[in-house]
Amino acid sequence: MKTAETTLLIDAMIFGNLLVLLAVGLTLTYITLRIPNFAHGDLATIGTYVAYFMYTYLKISPYLSIPLAFLISGTIALLSYLFIFKPLADRGTGIIGLMIASIALEVVLRSSLHVYADILSETYKVISRGFLFRDYTITLGTLSLPYLFIISSALSIFLIFSFYILLTKTKFGIAMRAAIENPNLAEVLGVNVNKVYAISWFLAGGLAGIAGAFLPFRITAGPEVGWYMLLRTFASSILGGFLSIYGAMLGGYAVGFAEIIGIYFLSKPPLNISTAFRPAISFIILIITLLIVPEGLASKIKLEKISKLLKTVKRTRKQ
Amino acid sequence: MIGIADPIRFVIDLTAFFSIYLMLSISLNLEYGYTGIPNFGKVLFFAGGAFITGAVITRLLLIIIGLSSENYCSFNVLYASEVTKYLAENPLLSVLIFVTMLLAGCIVGGLLGYVASYPAIRLKETYLGITLLASGELLRIVARNYDPLICGTLGVSVPDVFAWIPVNVKEFVQVFIMLGIALSTWGFVEKLTRSPLGRLIRAIRDNEIAAESYGKDVVKVRTKILVLGSAIAGIAGVLYALYVRSVHADDFMPLRTFIIWVMIIIGGVGNNIGAALGSFIYVLTERLIMQYKHYIVAPFDVNYLSYIFFGIILILILMFKPKGLLPEKPSKTIEFEKIIKKLKKK
Repeated sequence: MKTAETTLLIDAMIFGNLLVLLAVGLTLTYITLRIPNFAHGDLATIGTYVAYFMYTYLKISPYLSIPLAFLISGTIALLSYLFIFKPLADRGTGIIGLMIASIALEVVLRSSLHVYADILSETYKVISRGFLFRDYTITLGTLSLPYLFIISSALSIFLIFSFYILLTKTKFGIAMRAAIENPNLAEVLGVNVNKVYAISWFLAGGLAGIAGAFLPFRITAGPEVGWYMLLRTFASSILGGFLSIYGAMLGGYAVGFAEIIGIYFLSKPPLNISTAFRPAISFIILIITLLIVPEGLASKIKLEKISKLLKTVKRTRKQ
Repeated sequence: MIGIADPIRFVIDLTAFFSIYLMLSISLNLEYGYTGIPNFGKVLFFAGGAFITGAVITRLLLIIIGLSSENYCSFNVLYASEVTKYLAENPLLSVLIFVTMLLAGCIVGGLLGYVASYPAIRLKETYLGITLLASGELLRIVARNYDPLICGTLGVSVPDVFAWIPVNVKEFVQVFIMLGIALSTWGFVEKLTRSPLGRLIRAIRDNEIAAESYGKDVVKVRTKILVLGSAIAGIAGVLYALYVRSVHADDFMPLRTFIIWVMIIIGGVGNNIGAALGSFIYVLTERLIMQYKHYIVAPFDVNYLSYIFFGIILILILMFKPKGLLPEKPSKTIEFEKIIKKLKKK
């Protein structure tokens, strides 16, 4: 394989991993209250600034500030659920009202981050907008892999397995699925729905925080960085069906690969499209999904069908 | 007035921005408050009007004058001032251009509204909100990166179509015309909401299935309202571009949509007086902050503080006063006595 193509694949994989982290969180909040959380991107930006703060003041590698980013973003998501979305939902606010509230929260968080960035640059005289983290690479034979590739991939794989175990093998996971499927019935059967939802929000915020800590390795970061990722996150989640966590993972990789590889070919000679139009790819995926398969990809992939297909294949082989 | 350097300037700016935001909030109220379409992409249609003005007006006038528009983006400030000089001597042409631009904004806004109505009718509220929000961002990204439109990140300057009016009254006239257009839009929407169509859109908002079962074409009505609301937003965009005298893509962030939502939620959804009150409160606060900004010593931009403030206010209103300051009232009907009198006469 040529090096240019390898780097392209590595880039796409990293971008996919970041989107998976974001999209899983977004889906997780969507399946609780059925609102698209527009503030999700800003939870990631909080993670970005946590990592940046640790990086500039304590000289700690952004990779080591992942747990802190997870905790802080998760806590803010939890607080927003407890003090904004839950009270609103309890008062009988409709979907549109909740969406407006989430946009309001988005504006509040983003403006707060702008204020924070201003304070950073005014009082401490450091760059607080448009910064990047420098990554190191590992050389394996002829391949040189960035740390981010290894760590984000490992984290995504870990996430896929832990969600699988959480949702199918643990009591909490089963309660969670029940609470999501039918909150009233679950409540009657003794599941603490509120607690399940609160934990979902915390996890969602935490995952966004981790993604945020990784973002400056790839994109020049500032208070708006999460907002720029939001559209892609929505595209990934919706492509995955918006109700399925595995769908969100699939959607994340699909959008990540489509964007990176798509723009690589579109910016080449025959078309020469400016790379600045990259976000348009996610947007087109979003629109096409909504108009053609609004229920998402996950709904099209049925495990039973696959196993049936495998059986028929086996049978035909035997014959 | 205390602390305001130039009270006349302040009032002119206040009135101008109030007029623009009044049109936007009234049209959003028509879409969401009366019809129930959650238009989270209001900025898209507003930007449509502003972009068409920025893209067309100077080029069109250069053609009329007979000058070339070579290297348009590098020299657009120069071209705009050249064109303004020409317009100052041609009142008739100025008025004609002004009206043409308003029409163009109306058409572009309406067309964008028609395009947006395609998913708007088919999607649930959630998906519709996401799609419209994303569409607004897409238009901004395109405008930012596609230079021929409004010169990308540089932005484009817009000539003064009111240059022919004597300088001392020019701005008063301009603001007066803007307010006039805004108020007549208000009157038009108010009239519309009291017409049979107004009752129909409220019926659709309250119970879509019931309205459909009475044989009403919900899809068609929604398209109509979205096209109408977007056309109003397009006109507002033209007025904005002509008042600010420049168009920058980054001026049309989704934050603007949020501001318009703040206005109608604070004022009262489904009540045009509420929408007007909401826009007045917002514009007044914004202008006052601009005035007093220099007096406030803070290590950050005070504008962000106002966004935080409005965000929190919005959430609090949703929680404690979800109907806004002026809740929706039953639509006005003819007085009972008058009806009795008419019946007796017969």
